[in-house]
Amino acid sequence: MKSYRDRSTILFQILVYTVMIFTLMVTLIPLISMAALSLSSSKAIVNNEVFLWPKGLTFEAYRQIFTYPNFFRAYGNTIFYTFFGTAISLLVMIFFAFPLSKPALKGTKFVLKLVVFSMFFSGGLIPNYLLISNLGLTNTRWAILLPFAINQFNLILLINFFKSIPIDLEEAAIIDGVNYAGILTRIVLPLSGAALATVGLYTAVFFWNDWFNGLIYLKSSQFPVMLFLRNIVTGTSMVGEAAGVGDKSAIAISIKSAVIVTSTLPIILLYPFLQRYFVKGVMIGAVKG
Amino acid sequence: MKKVLGITLVLVTCVLLGVSAQGAKEQVVKPLEFSVFYSDNATLPFKDTWLTVTEIQKRTGVKVNWEIIPIADYKTKVSLALNTGTNAPDVILYQSTKGENAALALNGAIVPISDYPEWTPHFNARVKEFGLENDVDLLKLKDGKRYYMPALFDVPFYDGGLILREDLLKKYNLPVPKTFDDLYAVLKEFKRHAPDSYPLTILAGPRVLYRMTMPSWGVSLGKNGASGTNTLSWDYDKKQYFAGAISEQYKSYITFFHKLYAEGLLDPEMAEPIDGDRWTQKLATGKAMASYAYYDQIGGVEANSNIPGFKLQMYPALAGPAGAHHQEKSRTGGGVMFPIKTSRRADFEQVVRAVDEMFFSEENAKLWCLGVEGITYTVKNGKVVFADEFVNAKEGIYKSMQVKHGTGSDVTQMVWVNAREMTKYDDNYARINAEVEAMGDVIRYIPPTPKFDDKQAEEAGSLQTPLHDAWERWNSAFLTGAKSIDRDWNAYVQEMKNLGIDRFLELYNSNL
Amino acid sequence: MKKQEKAKAYLFRYWQLYAMLIIPFLYFLLFKYVPLFGNVLAFRRYRPGMGPFGTEWVGLHYFQRFWGDPAFWRAFRNTLVLSLLNLVVNFPIPIVFAILLNEVRWLPFKKAVQTVSYMPRFISTVVVIAILGELLSPSTGIVNIIRMNVFGQKAIYFINEAKYFRWIYILVDTWQYTGWTAIIYLAAITAIPADLYEAATIDGATRIQQIFYVTIPSIMPTIMVMLILNVGRLLSLGFEKVLLLYTPDNSMVSDIIDTLVYRTGLANQNYSYATAIGLFSGIIGVILVSSSNFLSRKITGEGVY
Repeated sequence: MKSYRDRSTILFQILVYTVMIFTLMVTLIPLISMAALSLSSSKAIVNNEVFLWPKGLTFEAYRQIFTYPNFFRAYGNTIFYTFFGTAISLLVMIFFAFPLSKPALKGTKFVLKLVVFSMFFSGGLIPNYLLISNLGLTNTRWAILLPFAINQFNLILLINFFKSIPIDLEEAAIIDGVNYAGILTRIVLPLSGAALATVGLYTAVFFWNDWFNGLIYLKSSQFPVMLFLRNIVTGTSMVGEAAGVGDKSAIAISIKSAVIVTSTLPIILLYPFLQRYFVKGVMIGAVKG
Repeated sequence: MKKVLGITLVLVTCVLLGVSAQGAKEQVVKPLEFSVFYSDNATLPFKDTWLTVTEIQKRTGVKVNWEIIPIADYKTKVSLALNTGTNAPDVILYQSTKGENAALALNGAIVPISDYPEWTPHFNARVKEFGLENDVDLLKLKDGKRYYMPALFDVPFYDGGLILREDLLKKYNLPVPKTFDDLYAVLKEFKRHAPDSYPLTILAGPRVLYRMTMPSWGVSLGKNGASGTNTLSWDYDKKQYFAGAISEQYKSYITFFHKLYAEGLLDPEMAEPIDGDRWTQKLATGKAMASYAYYDQIGGVEANSNIPGFKLQMYPALAGPAGAHHQEKSRTGGGVMFPIKTSRRADFEQVVRAVDEMFFSEENAKLWCLGVEGITYTVKNGKVVFADEFVNAKEGIYKSMQVKHGTGSDVTQMVWVNAREMTKYDDNYARINAEVEAMGDVIRYIPPTPKFDDKQAEEAGSLQTPLHDAWERWNSAFLTGAKSIDRDWNAYVQEMKNLGIDRFLELYNSNL
Repeated sequence: MKKQEKAKAYLFRYWQLYAMLIIPFLYFLLFKYVPLFGNVLAFRRYRPGMGPFGTEWVGLHYFQRFWGDPAFWRAFRNTLVLSLLNLVVNFPIPIVFAILLNEVRWLPFKKAVQTVSYMPRFISTVVVIAILGELLSPSTGIVNIIRMNVFGQKAIYFINEAKYFRWIYILVDTWQYTGWTAIIYLAAITAIPADLYEAATIDGATRIQQIFYVTIPSIMPTIMVMLILNVGRLLSLGFEKVLLLYTPDNSMVSDIIDTLVYRTGLANQNYSYATAIGLFSGIIGVILVSSSNFLSRKITGEGVY
């Protein structure tokens, strides 16, 4: 009995580790390559001498980025929007999601339908712009922090997570005389670590990467850094929408690579910190006892 | 008692002083202040410490609030501001009344600046000086008014074109090509010495090649074609449009380039624009020896090449069946426009006068081009001599000054005098430009934009895109040989006719 | 009387839940539904500078325009095919990946793979396609070099050929989003109570059996919700990615609704046309979501609403 189980388990483990190593290679190689390019001299790059290791080590690309006018101010803006935008968003979404996760509650089905349907229709750029403008939010930082607090996709995920928490826990609490506010704060939230971390991460990434809303709703001193960094990468691109605009200019690939590293490293490092919320929920005790 | 009186006296005096100071302050004239949209190119990012920026505000006593918008998204932001009328700045730079802007202007979103000639004396003077009255007049829209003050060029430049490996020409004893047939021979010889190479490569996709070479066949088509229609071309003799996409001239053009492609002389990666770095790579490593590109890109390639004796040179336009012509250029460029809300300012006249002075006065035109005398340049024996730091800079005078001081920027420099510009380039460039000018009529004017109203513009727009798509597909097929020019040409013409090219042509010609 | 009293009693009992709901709900209506009035533009002629809601009613003029345009239907078909293909390939992969990742016992390695796997999502599409162009280049790309030197085959200009377009799009999507999407499933897996696995082990199930009998059924609600949402989004694809891969030679399969709208509608500032198509796509999206939600309820008892 045991040896049979061991063999299939071992084969399975081999499969798992093979897949993981393959994943690591396929994702890491391009990333390492880019990091190498960002630290290499343009001559070496042009002559195809750089693959995984920098050649002609130089920090010139990074120097150019850091001395880009108002780089640090824009970076600060981005951090501000990401942090507070995510905080506000999570707050609003938690209060929205909790009642909606109780299908028995009257009216929730209707609201859910509204939420889902709104995912498919948009008023378009101009109506949205006018709304935010008429609310007096344009050219203020609130234009970024408020209108995007509710993302329907993330909301539905959160609702789903709340739903998956066993109802017995809630019933036990009600018997103990806890009200809904208490259930939310003392039972549901503590058990939703992984869900909150996931939705929080997704939201944070949205704010971190957003350049379009920053472009249209803000004035240049409030612009997020992604707008400028993207301009370096796409504004001189020969391809796509911005093509033709940058025909006369060429920015070295070393700078483009450095832009990628600068703009993604911080947010990439967020996940490892959130990983500790991805622990197995401990459910025993409250119900059985 | 005395104490109280004393203190009261002091207090009253202070108050009186304060009030009078306030009154005095109000009498001081507040400096003129307005906001400007600026299109920011990542290769020369805007710095508010730029000499040009600080100096211009000092000279005119204006406080400018610059809104710095990345070039790739500039049109979006301008469009939004003009379409909604909210949050528009006082002044918008680097725009013209093409496309949507024409409709916006006709519908009252932009100030018809031609209504205020008395407020733009400097602009008027420059126009007269360059002899551009006609060109500027052509910028009027259907209602007979002009809605922006364009940038002015006295003579168009030859800033890009055919670029070849001069060292190889010498090495293989080849004469400098003067016609396209000469080019063919040169490319064939290059290929003979390097069978694995594709001698002629392209930068940024076929559109650069097309717009620089098609005029020698008498047509101009594609995304950056002169007319902006993609499929119609201008007949410079008859002074009207014709269906360039289905013309014999175009057929002759594509036959020539198909020959280049079929014989491996043209880079097969034509279809999809190559990134600037790959282009540099191909040239620098010798995988390609010729291209159509811009003069200021040569330095970047040469600096990165390991090939001994590597030298790239730019050559004047080659002659094709319709003569030696280069990409058409206008003598006016994107310029200054005022959203309608600016005209509602009490100090509107002052704003217009200030803007006019800032960009079009003789003194300030020099500022935006050369910088400040004594700091960036000095005049020795009547010639302009730039400061050493620029003369010795790796990227050349033009670029290094652009980055450090903001001179020579398309966005803020409105007055371009060729002779003055030449001082910023090396002698080689000046020589080439002189050669091109001597050839006569190389760079022709851009065809006139018809005066459409909304409905006509919509109809033209709805015809334009499918025609363009079809042309692109067939063009690519003819070029690569996927479709045969001999056998399939008629089917192609038929398809274009089915898509309405005749109606499209009629719309354009009847509204000139 | 009774009904009113019942309603009052209901509200009294659940007032806290409604209180939590009300502000976010109003917020939601304000920012998500109020702008929808702009869709009236699909039925009115838009004239730049003359108000965002157009100037005159034109009824179904714009709908008729795209309805009769063969280019639109080709784009519609391209969108559906690409989307369905993408769904079939890229929907299961993150699930499988998450499950396998969960089986990794060596914790540091697991965390490393988790973090690395979601990095590609942060590289902008422009750069990804540029890298891809390098790799697949017929002259300098490593793929073709291997094919020519090792297998003796002719170079293929992958990016330009219609028949490779769909696979390139799909595989790029796999590379970019697998790790990222897997996070949701990982979160769902960690929520599975440990005692379920203990019970299964006691019953003598192997690890593989536990996956099929414990893990998958436990995350089924999450899977169904994701499936329904993705089916609803069938008509929206990575616009930027397609635009970057578009060449005249592959345009027959690569032109999707969004790129068509971009070229014909937005590039010519014909917002009315673009809005009409957007409205049409939205209605189809709603139909798709409703049907899949209904089916899901019938079959698995789970749904989004």
